[in-house]
Amino acid sequence: MEPVLLVLAYSVAATLLAAVGGVPLLTRDRVPVQWLGWSNAAAAGTMLGAAYLLAASGISGRALALGAGALLGIGFVWWTHAVSGTGDLDLNVQGGSPAGYGSDVLLVSALHSGAEGVAIGAAMAADAVLGVWVAAAIGLHNIPEATLLASVFRSRGEPAARATLLAIVGNSPIVPLAVSTFAVVDAAPVALPWALGFASGALIYLVTVDLLPESYRQAGATSIAMITLLAMGLVATVRGVLQ
Amino acid sequence: MSPVLLVFLYGLFTAATTALGVLPFAFVRTVSSRAVAYANAIAAGLMLGACFQLVVEGSGHGAVQTGAGALLGVAFILATQRFLARYDVDIDEVRGAGARRMILIVVVMTVHSMAEGIAVGAGFGGGEELALLITAAIAVHNVPEGLAISAVLRPQGVSIARCAWWSFFSSLPQPLLAVPAFLFVDAVRPALPYGLGFAAGAMIYMVLVELLPGAYEEARRPAVGLLVSSTLVGMIVLQQYL
Repeated sequence: MEPVLLVLAYSVAATLLAAVGGVPLLTRDRVPVQWLGWSNAAAAGTMLGAAYLLAASGISGRALALGAGALLGIGFVWWTHAVSGTGDLDLNVQGGSPAGYGSDVLLVSALHSGAEGVAIGAAMAADAVLGVWVAAAIGLHNIPEATLLASVFRSRGEPAARATLLAIVGNSPIVPLAVSTFAVVDAAPVALPWALGFASGALIYLVTVDLLPESYRQAGATSIAMITLLAMGLVATVRGVLQ
Repeated sequence: MSPVLLVFLYGLFTAATTALGVLPFAFVRTVSSRAVAYANAIAAGLMLGACFQLVVEGSGHGAVQTGAGALLGVAFILATQRFLARYDVDIDEVRGAGARRMILIVVVMTVHSMAEGIAVGAGFGGGEELALLITAAIAVHNVPEGLAISAVLRPQGVSIARCAWWSFFSSLPQPLLAVPAFLFVDAVRPALPYGLGFAAGAMIYMVLVELLPGAYEEARRPAVGLLVSSTLVGMIVLQQYL
């Protein structure tokens, strides 16, 4: 298969995995708040693991470009949050949320997925095995993330199926950004460390600003630290075994 | 000079540079609760950045062993937390939760320099020129580690001199363990990924369970996120040039 089509297939699969995250909502209207915390932590750990793999793959030789790319990634996400006024937005409000809240959450998750798309595209361009594993990790991380998103929409009165669909929509920017990042880096390999750094920095910033702060309030520090670390460790260790 | 003495002196020198990390705090007088949060965020970024290098090196020797070592490191910190919770600890006149956090960071950083000491000692096998290079690298690399320790200790009211002492103390395992590791390189090498993973697991867990929650309580999320992620990136890049 054409490499670009492969990137397309993997990023679509990673996006669609979000549907699994809607399953808990079929049997209950509301997910316990502790579950949301654990979902946040699992998503955070997977993202940190992916960020580690991206940085580790790009660090040798072009460390400065990687670092500059990472700062760009951090700055870009900070800027999009600031411009959209969502820097301090609590992404986990269940019930009683204001009118514009649903679209704000959808916007933030779309920006969030954009960074994940860059991660998949850059990883694929760096090395096929790394790319497949990063796509798998991002796809798995979409499951708990979709549980969070869908339960926000569910609490705003959407039926479970529509809430899940919205969660998939929120994740859909992964596809165009993965494909275009791959295409650009494939055509101009000099951009590779920049792209790896950008994705890595953006993922780390998203974890520290969006996922972890809420999770601590939802489930307490010990379980959050444990789940985050386990998810991160699994992502890194499995990659080492694949190598 | 005998090579053993040389390894020890090099190690002692690198330990001493850790104390330099306290210097920025000589210029900061009052410490608000928000400044404590920022200091915790910076310490978190520096520690995560140091872990990056530990895991990269550990994975080079064996990814599964590194992962297993990390689990052991987490278990070690959990056990230490349990142990500390049973006593009303105090360290340099600080009591309660603050004191526990202080002890924990000194313990964690000390464990981490054990792994580094072994890595240095094993690395000395490559001749004196390489040894000098590694020593210089570790010496510079220790400064932000001293900064991380001081960033947790100083806001609790610990004096500059005591911050410098604890920073130095946390790096003492480097000279002490570099020597046996240098003498028994072949025996040490299989244990290396476990040790590196152990240190990384302990440090990451410490960041996730103590430093970050503390930072989020007292400062806004974007500020914490920016400080953690940019110091982390800075530390990763810095280590490549050492």
